[in-house]
Amino acid sequence: MALTQVSSNKCAGGFQKVFEHDSTELKCKMKFAIYLPPKAETDKCPVLYWLSGLTCTEQNFITKAGSQLAAAEHGIIVVAPDTSPRGCNIEGEDESWDFGTGAGFYVNATQDPWKTNYRMYSYVTEELPKLINANFSTDPDRMSISGHSMGGHGALICALKNPGKYKAVSAFAPICNPVQCPWGQKAFTGYLGADRSAWEAYDATVLAASYSGPQLDILIDQGRDDQFLSASQLLPDNLIAVCSEKKIPVVFRLQPGYDHSYFFIYSFINDHIKHHAKYLNA
Amino acid sequence: MDLNDIRGGRLAVISEESEQQDFSRESSTMEAYNVVPEPGGRTFQRFSVNTNESLRFEPCEDSCPSPTGAEDGRDDVFEKGECEGEIASIRNQLQGKVAEMENFAGHLEEIFLTVEENFGRQEQHLEQHYNDVLQTLSQRYDDRETGLQEEKKSKLESLYKQLVACGQALDTSKELIETAQEVYRCQDERLFLKTVMPIIKRVEEFAKEDIDLSLSTSLEFSTPLADLSDVKTMMDSINVVPAPSAPVINPQLPNSATQTSLHVCWSLFSDDTVEYYELYYRPVLEDTPADSTCAPQESKVKVKETHCTVTDLLHNAQYELWVTATNTTGISPASEKALYMTVPSPPAIKQRECSSCPEAALIRWESGNTNPVDSYIVELSETGTVGAESNITESIVAVPTCQCLIQLQAGRQYLISVRAVNIGGPSDRSDAITISTTGTFFYLLEDTAHPCLSMSEDGFTIFYGDEELPITAMAFEDNTFTRCVAILGDLIPVRGRHYWEVEVDDETEFRVGVAYEDTERDGYLGANGSSWCMRHIRTPSRHKYEFLHNGWSPDLRITVHPVRIGVALDYDRGTLRFFNANLEQHLHTFHCRFHNYVHPCFSLDNPGALTVHNGIQAPDYTFI
Repeated sequence: MALTQVSSNKCAGGFQKVFEHDSTELKCKMKFAIYLPPKAETDKCPVLYWLSGLTCTEQNFITKAGSQLAAAEHGIIVVAPDTSPRGCNIEGEDESWDFGTGAGFYVNATQDPWKTNYRMYSYVTEELPKLINANFSTDPDRMSISGHSMGGHGALICALKNPGKYKAVSAFAPICNPVQCPWGQKAFTGYLGADRSAWEAYDATVLAASYSGPQLDILIDQGRDDQFLSASQLLPDNLIAVCSEKKIPVVFRLQPGYDHSYFFIYSFINDHIKHHAKYLNA
Repeated sequence: MDLNDIRGGRLAVISEESEQQDFSRESSTMEAYNVVPEPGGRTFQRFSVNTNESLRFEPCEDSCPSPTGAEDGRDDVFEKGECEGEIASIRNQLQGKVAEMENFAGHLEEIFLTVEENFGRQEQHLEQHYNDVLQTLSQRYDDRETGLQEEKKSKLESLYKQLVACGQALDTSKELIETAQEVYRCQDERLFLKTVMPIIKRVEEFAKEDIDLSLSTSLEFSTPLADLSDVKTMMDSINVVPAPSAPVINPQLPNSATQTSLHVCWSLFSDDTVEYYELYYRPVLEDTPADSTCAPQESKVKVKETHCTVTDLLHNAQYELWVTATNTTGISPASEKALYMTVPSPPAIKQRECSSCPEAALIRWESGNTNPVDSYIVELSETGTVGAESNITESIVAVPTCQCLIQLQAGRQYLISVRAVNIGGPSDRSDAITISTTGTFFYLLEDTAHPCLSMSEDGFTIFYGDEELPITAMAFEDNTFTRCVAILGDLIPVRGRHYWEVEVDDETEFRVGVAYEDTERDGYLGANGSSWCMRHIRTPSRHKYEFLHNGWSPDLRITVHPVRIGVALDYDRGTLRFFNANLEQHLHTFHCRFHNYVHPCFSLDNPGALTVHNGIQAPDYTFI
């Protein structure tokens, strides 16, 4: 597959680049951001996939999160895809900020008119890794996943649905139990239909209850002053309860004073990258 | 005598061969021989200057040439050619011999001088002795004379007295007789009768008196036997060796003693003849009472040499020693008293007070001696990977106190032992302790334990028992925790990285972390600024965790209860990190620049137990 470089900036000793390609899963042109640390010039590096949240593109993370220094220090390639297919001209895709464009929810839609293009789950777990491994100096066996909010939900479900595929997983203010929160219910209804059992396949809390596979070690940071937390959109307690019972190791940190913004991500991204590095570089 | 033989033999050969030049030399050497004195019938003492060897001249072959001329008639010797080499070698031989003879002459000169010296000394000695004798004699004479004079005087006095008394008696008698005669001639018969009777009585009485006609003193002079015994002794001693003077006892040589013996040396003050020495010694006790009634017993050893090894002594004890020299004449005065010390007993390493980390070890020991010692030596050797003990690889000397911080290399095993040192030397090695520089190793500080805490025998598990101890039964010491049922660990005071693990169970509520040594003993771990800890609280429904410092904790949830907690302390980075060691899961990191050394701390908040595991190499992930 042909990649077109959109931009390249030297950053933290490495390069922050943006590429564009024709996605077969999403049937449209997709951009993604990739940070190549200095080590990538000489060695094959592990890859951390970052999934952004509602309304974001591939730009938010690379300009606001401040991840490049830590990535350079630990020699990790960071790939940040877009949050949904773009320019597909689907009716209603721009009506809400929390559904449609910029709100792919990392599922493979089964309902019309979304099912042709809105296949973010497969894009993230299949197409993108193949593309990255084919075009960059990566170690295909060492990858991990992380994300924020909707992207946090995406990271959790990708890890839970693919035991052993990701060496580490972490999340910032994830939507932990979408089937129980307004966001999730709205999105799943639209993408997956009314059958709630189809929703459960993309719900981290439900997936955790039946997870079996290699041991996970999940790091979750949540701002205590996050408005969406208090609006019961995120529901981390549900996930924690299930993980406690199922003995899935989670460290969940409630950070006082922090909100839902990239300022929050910026404040703790180093801890997360260190967390990923421990497993990626082991 | 060899000299004469040789003189007769070899020199004769030389004189035969080389008449002119060598003859003069030979004669001078002959002169030297003749000069050897033989004073006063004394035998010539042969000083061993190894002249025997040098005088062993090899018999010369016939072909010894004369270096001078052909006058000895041996013309054939001067044939050139093949004889030149021979001439050279023979000349060398001769020169050698000449050198030896000169050497010998030198020795003889020395002998001569020594003998003169001896002679001079003896002469001096003799002169002094005789002078002493003469002096004594003349003094005796003076004494005797004075004595006799006095006697004469007293005799004369008493005789004179007697004479005077006699004269007086005579006068009295004469007077009496005259009176009697007068009375007899008296015409007055009445007066005569009156006075005649008392006079007659008086005369009768007087006549009855015995007259002592003996001399008051004898005419003889007492001549007691002169006591010249000491003079005799002096005369005798002239021919006899004088009694020795006091020897000089040497101060203690370093490293000449053992734990139970001392090696003592002394020397003669002068050139005395000594038959044997007697060495006295007794221990110097610290609490010797003022009166000498119970002074320690002194012991005595008789030796012929000027040194002696005294055995069967106490460890690390001070002894007073003195020595006397004895010969046929008598015993010398005692030498000055010298103080010697035996070597100390070996120390005993206190196993439970030793700690280590990859770069160092802290060893503490007990002196092993009641008296103070000067210093200690710490010896260490690395045990080979095969387990065979190698030799001592390092010694640290002049350690002033009973502890030592030693720099080591990581990942090795060492055997460390200690010796105590005093002036007598070093003690035997103490029992060795094995130190492994894998990971950080420490014991718990028992004297900080809250009274409700009990410890397993190996010292690594602490228990908080079920029974409620009444307050009165609790023995609080200065250093124990009084509220928090806690204990500190004895972490080695070395900066760098340290790692240890704590094993807990599902139910026990605990606090584990670090604290400064002076953390408040009446406080709770984590509630103050001098301690940092992870705290586990158990509710009926779930586990709660806090990471406390200054009473504040972040808010977090941990879904899998850690039963083996890894604690990683990094002084340089200023971090204290907690892990679920079984899952390799990071739990929390404190960031703090520790301004002082910290100690691991452990507490149990409900009845239960926890076990400390250390000596573990820190996993890689703990210090990323």
